[in-house]
Amino acid sequence: MSEPPLPRRTEVLRSHVRDAAAQLRDPGMEIDRDPTAIDRWLHLPAADLMRLSTIPVEYLDAPLRIDGHTYDMRSCLEHTVTIEELSYGDAGFMLACPGPLMSGVAVDALGDDKQRHAYYERLSRPEATWTFFGLTEPAKGSAATELETALTPDGDGFRLSGAKRYVGNAAFARLGVVFCRRAPGPLGIEAVLVDTRDPGFRAELIPTVGMRGARISAITLDGVRIEREQVLGYDTLRPSRRGLVGAIRTLQRFRPVLAGTALGLTRAVLDHVRRERPALTGTARGRLEDLRDRLEATRRQNYDIASAIDAGKVRSDRIAGVKTRAAELAERATLAAADLLGPASLLEDPWLGKLYRDARAFEFMEGTGHIQRLAVFQGVAKHTFLA
Amino acid sequence: MTTTDTTLPAPVIGWLEAFAGELDDCHEQAAPGGTVSSPAGWTIASAQRLPAGTPVPGTSGTLAAVRDAPPAGDPAARVFSDALVRLHWRLLRDVLDGAVSRLDGRTSEGAPLLGRQLVRGTVADVALALSETRDLLDLPRPTAGRRRRIHRDLVAAGRTALVLYGASSFAAEGPGRLLYAAELLGNTYLHTGEPEEGAGRE
Ligand SMILES: Cc1cc2nc3c(=O)[nH]c(=O)nc-3n(C[C@H](O)[C@H](O)[C@H](O)COP(=O)(O)OP(=O)(O)OC[C@H]3O[C@@H](n4cnc5c(N)ncnc54)[C@H](O)[C@@H]3O)c2cc1C
Repeated sequence: MSEPPLPRRTEVLRSHVRDAAAQLRDPGMEIDRDPTAIDRWLHLPAADLMRLSTIPVEYLDAPLRIDGHTYDMRSCLEHTVTIEELSYGDAGFMLACPGPLMSGVAVDALGDDKQRHAYYERLSRPEATWTFFGLTEPAKGSAATELETALTPDGDGFRLSGAKRYVGNAAFARLGVVFCRRAPGPLGIEAVLVDTRDPGFRAELIPTVGMRGARISAITLDGVRIEREQVLGYDTLRPSRRGLVGAIRTLQRFRPVLAGTALGLTRAVLDHVRRERPALTGTARGRLEDLRDRLEATRRQNYDIASAIDAGKVRSDRIAGVKTRAAELAERATLAAADLLGPASLLEDPWLGKLYRDARAFEFMEGTGHIQRLAVFQGVAKHTFLA
Repeated sequence: MTTTDTTLPAPVIGWLEAFAGELDDCHEQAAPGGTVSSPAGWTIASAQRLPAGTPVPGTSGTLAAVRDAPPAGDPAARVFSDALVRLHWRLLRDVLDGAVSRLDGRTSEGAPLLGRQLVRGTVADVALALSETRDLLDLPRPTAGRRRRIHRDLVAAGRTALVLYGASSFAAEGPGRLLYAAELLGNTYLHTGEPEEGAGRE
């Protein structure tokens, strides 16, 4: 398969990350068996890359420098390519890594300078720090604007009460962003920074069928004390520009990155089939070629969308479209792989078995296929989607 | 083979145990008192029926597998495969019913999610697949190829049904784990050895 073209510096980055990702299969299998096993693999270059790709340059001793290029992962394209390559190695490993990941993007979108500084200063310390992005609730998933976790005034601060569910890494995190309600309606939503050691915070791991590295967790918030300076943008943004705006911006910025995760896994499974069955012929070969074509086409589309975001053009219909295409392709490719690799392949080939279970996660992460389809429809109605 | 389980709440273990019991019934129908092995020599049954087996990944020790049994002879393999596809069908039917009642109780903008047209369309897609596969199962002169195609359709419809549960289908306590077991059983017993002609609907 030909590689989708990229700017020179991004190509240099891609091949650097690809080398680091080559070591991730064994750790990935181990994390699948025991999600806490990431602790034993933090010395790998891939874990360092996750750190370098999510912490701003000014907080790093040394930024990522390769062949004379310096990388600051504010670029959505470079972030997407990095995550796609790491996910080719193992998506679960990548998701289990410490660092800001999505919560950092929310802090960037909403936090004032002081909040941003305090957050990144904490994350730039040498010890591993996990974070979380807490939006989904037990009763409200897709309907995130109806979230019920309450931020109630208490003296000169607030108390936070409610529950969150399916939140990546929360059971292991030190810091996280929690979306909550200060007033009725979508504009009454706030985003607060929570220290998980504060009284009233509890989180536990939810066992899953696959993608165990995501370490999704259930959070209980029982009157957690929140000072005003923990409310993102409290002093600098009007209430209508806070909370929800941050959630939307974070998700828009992250969908190409998530699509990259699904596409990295898809490439991994298709390469696995080619390695295991180099002599496929006829219909079987045609199926594999078809899936490879779709993969390449979706990668190109994803890079275009990420580049457009870097150029300031955030097209929500196309972002939704590529996320859902990538998620569905990952599922199709793993189903086809189980068929092409023959009887009992799911029992005999643990790597295939893992990818097969992992691929189902993408449908739900950052919004379901139905919700993305509604956004695609909006784009069709406005004549932007296929323009 | 690796074990990939983490601890599960008690009710889910109950579901899995019931499923393992129904799988044993498939063996019983085909080989009373014994088990039926797949064309590639694998046998999967409940851990009670296969005490010497290795745990099957993703089934919390309720299912076990052993290798190197001689493949089952024709009548037993046929009876077993037929019972297995019917078990998958019943499971999917339950999963769809569960999705409908769950979505009826989950609200957005003051109305049940079941009222959303996209959701209704998805429910109908699964129901249509169930209706078609039931008719296919009832056709005379079943063949291994037909069973495999029915299994493929049930897998596709099962994935669609799981979407309706949101992330709860991905939690180990959700229905995703049971359908995964059915998918793995089909991959082991119903795969005829050749990649499927005309596939691509996966
Ligand atoms: C591996 C993994 C990691 C995750 N990580 C995080 C995380 O870090 N932080 C976080 O906050 N969340 C996270 N999530 C949760 C994810 O964002 C939610 O699962 C997702 O938003 C869907 O919500 P739900 O599961 O409650 O499904 P529901 O919203 O209950 O949906 C159920 C069904 O109804 C459909 N539906 C709902 N509303 C509509 C509508 N308006 N129109 C049409 N159909 C509709 C859905 O498409 C689905 O089919 C993660 C999930 C997974 C699986």
